Amino acid sequence: MQEVLLKPGMEIRISVEAENISPDKFSNKTAEEIKSIGIRMGNHKTTVGELFSVKVNGSGTPEDTKIVMEGDFSRIKRIGEGMTAGTILIKGNVDMHVGARMVGGRITVTGNADSWAGREMKGGELVIEGNAGYYLGAGYRGEACGMRGGKITVMGNALDFVGEHMCGGEIIIKGNAGILPGISNNGGKIVIGGNTARPGSEMTKGTIIVNGSVDEMMPVFKPEGAEDVDGVSYMKYTGDVILNGKGVLYVRE
Amino acid sequence: MELLIKNAAVYDPVNGIKGDRTDVSIKDGKIVDKVSSGCTGIDAGGRLVMAGGVDAHSHIAGSKVNVGRLMRPEDSRAGIKPRTKTTRPCTGYTVPNVYAMGYRYANMGYTTVFEAAQAIMKARHTHEELEEIPIIDKGALTLFGSNWPTMDFVRENDMDKLAAYVSWGLLASRGFGIKVVNPGGGEMWGFGKNVTGLDDVVPEFEVTPSQIITSLMKVNEMLGLPHSVHLHCNNLGKPGNYTTTLESMKLAKQVKAGKDRQVMHVTHLTFNAWGGTNWGDFESRADEIAKYLNNNDNVTTDMGQLIFGNATTMTADGPVQYANAKLLHAKWGNGDVELEDSSGVVPITYVKQISIHAIMWAIGLELALLTDDPYKVLLTTDHPNGGPFVNYPEVIALLMSNRKRQEEIATLHKAVHSQTKIPGIDRELDFNDIAIMTRAGTSKVLGLLEHGKGHLGIGADADISIYDIKPDEIDPSAEHSKIKSAFSSAAYTIKGGEIVARDGEITATPAGRTFWVDAKVPQSHTDEMMKDIRAKFKNYYSINLANYMVQDAYVTHQNVIKAGVGTAASEVD
Repeated sequence: MQEVLLKPGMEIRISVEAENISPDKFSNKTAEEIKSIGIRMGNHKTTVGELFSVKVNGSGTPEDTKIVMEGDFSRIKRIGEGMTAGTILIKGNVDMHVGARMVGGRITVTGNADSWAGREMKGGELVIEGNAGYYLGAGYRGEACGMRGGKITVMGNALDFVGEHMCGGEIIIKGNAGILPGISNNGGKIVIGGNTARPGSEMTKGTIIVNGSVDEMMPVFKPEGAEDVDGVSYMKYTGDVILNGKGVLYVRE
Repeated sequence: MELLIKNAAVYDPVNGIKGDRTDVSIKDGKIVDKVSSGCTGIDAGGRLVMAGGVDAHSHIAGSKVNVGRLMRPEDSRAGIKPRTKTTRPCTGYTVPNVYAMGYRYANMGYTTVFEAAQAIMKARHTHEELEEIPIIDKGALTLFGSNWPTMDFVRENDMDKLAAYVSWGLLASRGFGIKVVNPGGGEMWGFGKNVTGLDDVVPEFEVTPSQIITSLMKVNEMLGLPHSVHLHCNNLGKPGNYTTTLESMKLAKQVKAGKDRQVMHVTHLTFNAWGGTNWGDFESRADEIAKYLNNNDNVTTDMGQLIFGNATTMTADGPVQYANAKLLHAKWGNGDVELEDSSGVVPITYVKQISIHAIMWAIGLELALLTDDPYKVLLTTDHPNGGPFVNYPEVIALLMSNRKRQEEIATLHKAVHSQTKIPGIDRELDFNDIAIMTRAGTSKVLGLLEHGKGHLGIGADADISIYDIKPDEIDPSAEHSKIKSAFSSAAYTIKGGEIVARDGEITATPAGRTFWVDAKVPQSHTDEMMKDIRAKFKNYYSINLANYMVQDAYVTHQNVIKAGVGTAASEVD
């Protein structure tokens, strides 16, 4: 078992590209080795050690590696990008693209995560205890497939375009979601605990469940009557009818 | 500046050299008889040496390539490579940035590449990109097949005016030759229409595609252009279109070549050697095309080989791209070029288990393997329509190894057995055939042999590739993965006598030249023709004639080839 503790060594105002902060990159490395890992800050190259204090206990494979990050990471992007195993616990806020393209393992953010959290995620689990920004679990610009697998849980609210171009996996939002969750949805499942607006346009596959109220329904869904899901009664819709879509939208009656 | 390559296993089909162990001498950017003793040397150690690769059909620059980049930010993220001390940053796979175009071709040992379609009106954009593509020499074919003046002059049967228009159009676009895309149909797309056969009358213009093709072939020979008419057939992308392709090829019989080359080059047969009547009974008829090529000498073709994975289709054939976008539910880029043409861009992913894609994969290979003479079928992927050009080594390996083909066939949709002949073809091409399909043949078809491309004779450009293969030791059939990796990164690529790439790394980035053709016609013909052109600009074009021509400032490394009426001993029926 290896545990790595990272704390910001200074106030970081310029954005940092931190795709190298992941159990895959830190496993079986000493504190000195981790400190020398390259990282980009703004337009120049620096190292993990220049930005953060690093403490390491033990050593282990990526599966056995836990990274604990304490402090303000609100300018640190791409934490855990593409990670395959292990855990990251972030005690604070994070910038964009946390857990992007992750394949396995688990990331927990106790604060808020900025936009594109869990973008194009394939597997593993991402938990955001605060709020999430825009494009949670979406595909980046131009990408035909967003989230493909794994699970994202947001305890707070999420902004617009949750799961845009989603092709698989599961997104659970306990609070409210902004406009157009599941836009261009092509598979997977989105569950929204609170309210949202205009869910599921351009949807061809997948499922969206809204437990709160829907502000505006897109006029592209066909009502299918009432249906029970896990003992709760919903109004069921299918669509997007313009695309001959097979997507399913449940709205709490 | 002198350089000597020793112990080279040279394949130079033009000069009849098939793997002979010899030395190649270079001085001041050209191949020479001998160099002074003690000059810089490279010991090839019996490795394969060929002239630099020449690509006769690729989409590397211009407005539709850029539309592809704009539409596909996800593609740009696929090939990111940061700058080095020598190279600038690279992006993209199917639509790479300009730098990546040059570096990736050079790493494969290619030194000359021709952009296959530019509209005159968009030519400035093409040349702005060509100027920025490092290392390789370039040229661009200019679209003439749907232009209003072309159709007017064809209807009037005025070949002098048409020749004057082509001459002026090549100057205006700094173009190299005549490209024809879905003649008549491309421009009709601006009116929401298309043509469906060679004898369809183009609405409003009262001409047929067959008249357009024949007239442009006649004019091409009148002007003595280095290249022939370069044709993208009507009905491309529709099942059963091989009959249209064959009928188009037969038109070549009406015109005699003014030079030692074909009078018609029919391009990317993967997309127009299609049998069947719909997607259900879709099949390959590459065998019929190959049969025609084996019995006729005035037409050449290229493969347009399909590569599984991501591609971006882009063409001046606007209507076919509308059909594609609808069929695939894909992003659709659509363009209209005023009085000249249309265009369309649609991303696609070719999948092994989709029957149509598996059959299309077979078409290019069948064509190359069933046609006896490799000079008649050039190696292309119609980049990026069939797939990106970086996959040429894959195509070379497939052509050289039946074992590789059978391994691949085992992973494809079963339709490849019932709808194509590829499983039963056991021909394997040799290094000489490959040198023809990628160098000697492409250069001959373009008319560049006499301008120093595609061979290693005395006086040729010192564009040379050395591959990490010993031809007398390797069995390409069994060791196909070695063939592929060797052709992917040349041990040395030499451009104009300078080493530009070594083992997959770019070592120097000289600017390449742009070839274009200055074809003269009698001034009186030009004067007469310009009356019509001025009227077109006054009445229809959104820009002024004075802002239309590509100026010298856009072509700073130009290589002008002179041609024109009376320069070739041409006969026109």
